Amino acid sequence: MTWQLLSVAFFGLLAIWFGVTVFRTSSMVRSALSLLGSMAAVGAMFLAMQAEFLGVLQIMMMATEMTIMAIFMVMYMMDPGGLGQMDMTHQKRVSVAAGVTGALAGILLALLPGWGPIVRSVPGPARQTHDLGIELMNRSMIVFETAGVAILVAMIAATSVAIARRR
Amino acid sequence: MTSPSYVLLFALGLYVVAVLEGWASTGRLRLARPLRAGVALLGRETVTPRRPDRVLYETAPVLLLAAGLLAAAVLPLDRGAVSVDLATGVLFVNSALAYVMVGLVMAGWAPGGAYSLVAGWRFLGQLVAYSMLIVMPITAVAMRAQSLSTTAAVSSQVHLWNLAAQPLGFALFFLAAMAVCFLPPFDLPVSSDLAGGVAGEYTGARLAVVRLARVALVLTLSLAVVVFFLGGWLGPVLPGWVWTFVKTIAVAATMLVVGRLVPRLREEQVLAWGWKYGIPLALVNILWVGLTLLGVR
Amino acid sequence: MITLVVALVVGASLFGVGLYGALSQTNLVMIMMGIELMLGAAMVNLVAFWRFLHPGAVSAQVFVLIVMTEMALEMAVGFGLATARFRARGSVEMEEATELRG
Repeated sequence: MTWQLLSVAFFGLLAIWFGVTVFRTSSMVRSALSLLGSMAAVGAMFLAMQAEFLGVLQIMMMATEMTIMAIFMVMYMMDPGGLGQMDMTHQKRVSVAAGVTGALAGILLALLPGWGPIVRSVPGPARQTHDLGIELMNRSMIVFETAGVAILVAMIAATSVAIARRR
Repeated sequence: MTSPSYVLLFALGLYVVAVLEGWASTGRLRLARPLRAGVALLGRETVTPRRPDRVLYETAPVLLLAAGLLAAAVLPLDRGAVSVDLATGVLFVNSALAYVMVGLVMAGWAPGGAYSLVAGWRFLGQLVAYSMLIVMPITAVAMRAQSLSTTAAVSSQVHLWNLAAQPLGFALFFLAAMAVCFLPPFDLPVSSDLAGGVAGEYTGARLAVVRLARVALVLTLSLAVVVFFLGGWLGPVLPGWVWTFVKTIAVAATMLVVGRLVPRLREEQVLAWGWKYGIPLALVNILWVGLTLLGVR
Repeated sequence: MITLVVALVVGASLFGVGLYGALSQTNLVMIMMGIELMLGAAMVNLVAFWRFLHPGAVSAQVFVLIVMTEMALEMAVGFGLATARFRARGSVEMEEATELRG
């Protein structure tokens, strides 16, 4: 249990630190890769919490997503390298207040309630993956299929929005 | 087999692949070439770009190497001989290989040079083309094994190798594996066309790490081809790890030689072919494996 | 117990950072990064609840899978919009996106 607490805390701190770095650096590639670091640390937290399939999946998906995010940053930013020292923020005070309030509210909610008994044992990774597959093809099939249709819709929508107008 | 012997075997594999790489590019088989090249690189003057993104510049070569080694750690060398036996090993191979691309884009961006930057983005274009062709044939392998474990993937091939059971998947995975380790004909972004491309701004010890990472990637991807399609340790008479080693080196040699026989592909050709032909074929492969699995029942 | 609380606190802090980012950045792509962080925080909470309160309930993992899909969709549509906006106006600065103001 102690190793679990330590690794969850370590990767949690890492995730927060990388998350803060995303908005502190002025180089766009750096901030995209910091987000990747944050998300990979979240994946490592999943692994520490014995959700092996989800952890590995998270680490895989985010690598591609965030690298592609980096190229879009460079394409669309005024100052991708951060050498021009442009300020690209607004309403700073409101945002800080909102962020701190959100975090504090979440922390209060985490601390106040009694969460009830903690379950110590957890199914093994092979068992979990098997059960997840059965669940997806059985009870949650509609949910899963909805996600598939949503992906298709988003692909078509994104392509049709982004495609150049023919004159 | 014990854990130190995995490392020794892997190191031996690395050296053999490095010798083969030299043979494929120069045509002469010289056993001491990797050793001499390594010593020469370590001793050479280190020139760094004027204003690099320091953190990314130092991280990229190490990340490349780590991605290759992590993917190799979940692949079995013999029955019961795997460094980390993950229940989701097949998926983990995918996720480790995804970081090859992160490392290359990082290495392209970090020096702040125009050529390496263009090369990094070209790599990203190639990634979009081949990443699906890595994932989908592996999915078909996992379907046949009915498990995400790499050991189960090998034991499912006792009667028939996946090479024969799903030849289409093998062909696609083989080509995609060559693209992951940016061998020719997929090596335009590191070629002399862009003054060395991504690796162009790296010198000395850092360049040695980049070269080592490339060799490690070739070895890891060959091992993955062997484990997923060529029956891993399965084979008569000889012990399992010898079979794994021989098959892996054979696949690596094929990868290194095949690419020399065809002209280089531009990244937009790779993209067009990957999406117009590769992905439909991979889907056909998955359908075919599913049908055979249902027929077997 | 303490591990659950630690994970939830991490989730709350990540959410706060993401909220700050989404509100303070002027660039569309940076705003999307803030949203991704908030979704990541939600996933941390979901996995923590699954692990420490209901490890038998597989549907919690399905929920996390759906959130991951949603992150990818948000990126795809967001980049589509960014591309359209960049074609039309030459920038994706949201300070300049005032066409809909009454």
